[in-house]
Amino acid sequence: MDASTALGISLPIGLGLAAIGSGIGFSRAIGSAMEAIGRQPEASGKIQTAMIIGAGLIEALTIYAFVTVFLLMGKIH
Amino acid sequence: MHILERLMSNFGQGVFKLTSGDGEVYELPNLITLLNRWVIKDPTVASFLHQWEGIIYALFIAALIIFLAKRASTNMQLIPGRFQSVAEMLIEWLDDFICGILGPAGKKHVPFLGTLFIYILFMNLSGVLPAGKSPTASPNTTLALALSVFLYANFIGLKENGPVGYVKHLMGSPQSAVEWAFVPIMLPIHILGEIAKPVSLALRLFGNVTGEDVLLFAFCSLGVAALSFMDSPVGIPFQTPFILLAFLTSTIQALVFTLLSTIYILLWLPHDHGDHGEAGQH
Repeated sequence: MDASTALGISLPIGLGLAAIGSGIGFSRAIGSAMEAIGRQPEASGKIQTAMIIGAGLIEALTIYAFVTVFLLMGKIH
Repeated sequence: MHILERLMSNFGQGVFKLTSGDGEVYELPNLITLLNRWVIKDPTVASFLHQWEGIIYALFIAALIIFLAKRASTNMQLIPGRFQSVAEMLIEWLDDFICGILGPAGKKHVPFLGTLFIYILFMNLSGVLPAGKSPTASPNTTLALALSVFLYANFIGLKENGPVGYVKHLMGSPQSAVEWAFVPIMLPIHILGEIAKPVSLALRLFGNVTGEDVLLFAFCSLGVAALSFMDSPVGIPFQTPFILLAFLTSTIQALVFTLLSTIYILLWLPHDHGDHGEAGQH
């Protein structure tokens, strides 16, 4: 297997794995935030702000994988 | 050094391939592509325009925002018209949002952070317009924005804490002897963290907006390819649902960028409460 084939197979799989990890992180973060809002609706503004910060940090991990895929896509001939 | 150079050149090539006109293109044609194809025949001018199209769009959007802000702020009425009320609502919301995080003293940071939000929002949404392009789909623009946040936050840190407090903050505000003993470990970690902040800000915005644009391109080309067997001049608009998604992600990414910039400034502000137990509560 040459480098192009290896990259062609592994890049989408790697991106998918990163997306699975972020998805699990998102489900925990957003689920907990929703529960918290349900329990204390008057604090929803603060909870939402904190949730968006967390979501941004979680999502960055997939974005790093995505950028890496873009960098290495040029190597496939 | 060798590895870093290779990484940078790979990065440049990968990005250049994404935005350059020759070879594979992964984004929708914009106004400059059309100009180059139909109006400007000179290849040197065309390639110049193509290389600088992100800057051209960014400057055009900046001019548009200046024009709108001028129009909203001159000749203000006590009973606002439609345009003035929308502008006032936006500014009031930004003010509440940023002061809600930074506290009442955060009011002086609202112009910088609010400008960031409006500018990034307009730049992101420009990719959804027909014949438009997101300047934020290029890492150059996002890195410039992130660097300005980095400089601003560090300047605020230097101004609010003083030079000694600035260095002490980078050491992790040591107070007890144990904390002073950990300074040789904490200082490099904090400096690395400071450098990682603008990089992650830039990559996040770039990756999201590029992903959104590539998604739109993929579904547009799918729609054109679906009808290509009958030589149809138009395609099936498969991209329509994803345009709605693009509106959502554009707004959220502008919000996330502003929010994280606010947090980075907040981290540089001196803690009034002193001890960590109380600071951990908010």
